[in-house]
Amino acid sequence: MCGELPLAEKSTIANQFLEETSPEFVEEVERAREDSADLRGKSYWRDMDFQPFGGGRSLPGGINFAERMIDVEDRRKQAGRRTFLKAGGFVAASGALGSIEALVTGASTEGNKRKRARWIKTVDRPTLSEKSADYKRFSGKDIFATYIELKTQRDGAGSFEAEQASKAKRLVAWIKERKPGFSLPDQQLSEGAWTVMRSARPGTGLLSWTRTPVRTSTEPGAQRYTAPPEEMASTVKAAARLYGARLVGIAPMNEAYVNLQVPQEDEKQKDKDIVFEDVDVPAATDTKFVIPRKMKWVVAIAIPMDLGLLSRAPTALGDAASALGYSHSAFVVSSLAVFIRGLGYEAIPCVNDTAQSIPFALDAGIGELSRLNKLVTPEFGPAVRLCKVFTDLPMAYDKPVDFGLVEFCKTCKKCAEACPSRALSFDDEPSFKTKGPWNNPGHKTWFEDSYKCFEYWQKSGSACGVCLASCPYTKGDQAWIHEAVKATASIAPVADPVFRIMDNAFGYGKQRDPEQWWTKDSTSRRRG
Amino acid sequence: MTMANATDVFTITIRKRPWWFWALAGLWLLLEVLTLQTALASVEEGEPRAATISWIAAVGLAVVGVLAWLRRGRSEKLGESNRQPEGAPTPV
Repeated sequence: MCGELPLAEKSTIANQFLEETSPEFVEEVERAREDSADLRGKSYWRDMDFQPFGGGRSLPGGINFAERMIDVEDRRKQAGRRTFLKAGGFVAASGALGSIEALVTGASTEGNKRKRARWIKTVDRPTLSEKSADYKRFSGKDIFATYIELKTQRDGAGSFEAEQASKAKRLVAWIKERKPGFSLPDQQLSEGAWTVMRSARPGTGLLSWTRTPVRTSTEPGAQRYTAPPEEMASTVKAAARLYGARLVGIAPMNEAYVNLQVPQEDEKQKDKDIVFEDVDVPAATDTKFVIPRKMKWVVAIAIPMDLGLLSRAPTALGDAASALGYSHSAFVVSSLAVFIRGLGYEAIPCVNDTAQSIPFALDAGIGELSRLNKLVTPEFGPAVRLCKVFTDLPMAYDKPVDFGLVEFCKTCKKCAEACPSRALSFDDEPSFKTKGPWNNPGHKTWFEDSYKCFEYWQKSGSACGVCLASCPYTKGDQAWIHEAVKATASIAPVADPVFRIMDNAFGYGKQRDPEQWWTKDSTSRRRG
Repeated sequence: MTMANATDVFTITIRKRPWWFWALAGLWLLLEVLTLQTALASVEEGEPRAATISWIAAVGLAVVGVLAWLRRGRSEKLGESNRQPEGAPTPV
């Protein structure tokens, strides 16, 4: 933090804060200055009984008042040149370290704009953006539904139901024997985390496509909020971050990324088509979902998953990380949609439904496509949940990013090795070759075998997530070294194999003891 | 001036350290700070193996730094004691 603000600015903030909050304190300082002759050789606050803010509280900008007002003012007069230079050197060193940290991590803010690290380069097209003529709108068919069909085809009628019954029995048995990661509290932690997402269905409730009855600027006599596109983007991103988004980008609407249908949970109901029409407001009718063509903007959002939980995958605790991510996503997009509607525009909040989140997130510069065939962000790796909001609110688009991930994935393969079901590709290069009907063809990537993946879900009694936890980009946010490694990988792919070896040597990505989560990690300050 | 007084000559040598000394010292300090930060942060992140390796590296670096410093000081002292100061009268 110390490298973020110039000293003069810190001083101004400090003085303003003082004058506004504590006039008595200012008076006390003035008195201290007048009496400075008696105070030579003393550090005022340390030697006096009066301790402002409990002995020198830090203020915005990392300023400590007791130190700043007295040590700098009086000590400069009292101490010799040598001491002053020493102190100056220390401050400069601290500032330099702060600057290095800010440079590497990009952990600074400027108004509403959050700056990303400088090693995350913006590019005109996403890496792995090659598409063939086969690329079409995805059916939208839930991957689980595809699995049921394939399971029945391969193992005969009733095989899926038998598998589910066996899984249910196992889960109950594990509760009785208190199997680590599958005890009753473990399983119920996940159930609790699903709560918000369970009430989020496309087109209704939280994810309603139409206006909720709130006051808006479009009521008679009022005008919708207008501002330049850059400012609009900044405003929307600030709101999204407030609601819980950690990475936000704006992408142009691309109809090819929008699913053809919204599957209905009730088997008796027909899946609803998603259509684009020249209408003013979105609609979710009994037969179809209508997206107005004027909705040319997509707010792509990434919500980080809790690493403490994810590192317990494949267990019910690992599931809780996904569940929580989904529930947070539902909360963020629904809140943001209400905010945008309140400004006088239309908004469609979506979590995993309605459209493919990954291509929008790629276009919005949230991350890059990886060996997992999932998005990997430079900040949180693949341990994020994606969601999006479609809108007609004009905003400046963001650019895709390149941080050297594709090259890293070519040599790493740690996720493929860690995958318990061997569902991930070991190919050196990405290709157009799909693995099954769950893949959307026509684009270049490392396609995964979702059938194997889902089969393992049934066997393990959890939604796995080992690939997400094992990725070298999935790291805590405390150690500078992680950022330094990612920064080096982005500019020098030649070092990628070394980083992969080091990642293993340092023991990253291994499954942690599920029982310890309740006693240790649940109270730690790790990223969540 | 007696003979005894003539030998009481002290020479203070102020030697400018070469640039590479400061470069090495800077590199050592940077590595030390990085390894220490990684060690502390790894504990915070719940990565025991990374923390152990980083602690070992940090302590190892510190020991190497201290030993190098001591060794350098010792060699400087030895060099000075063997050297005859210029212009000093030779004891008879």
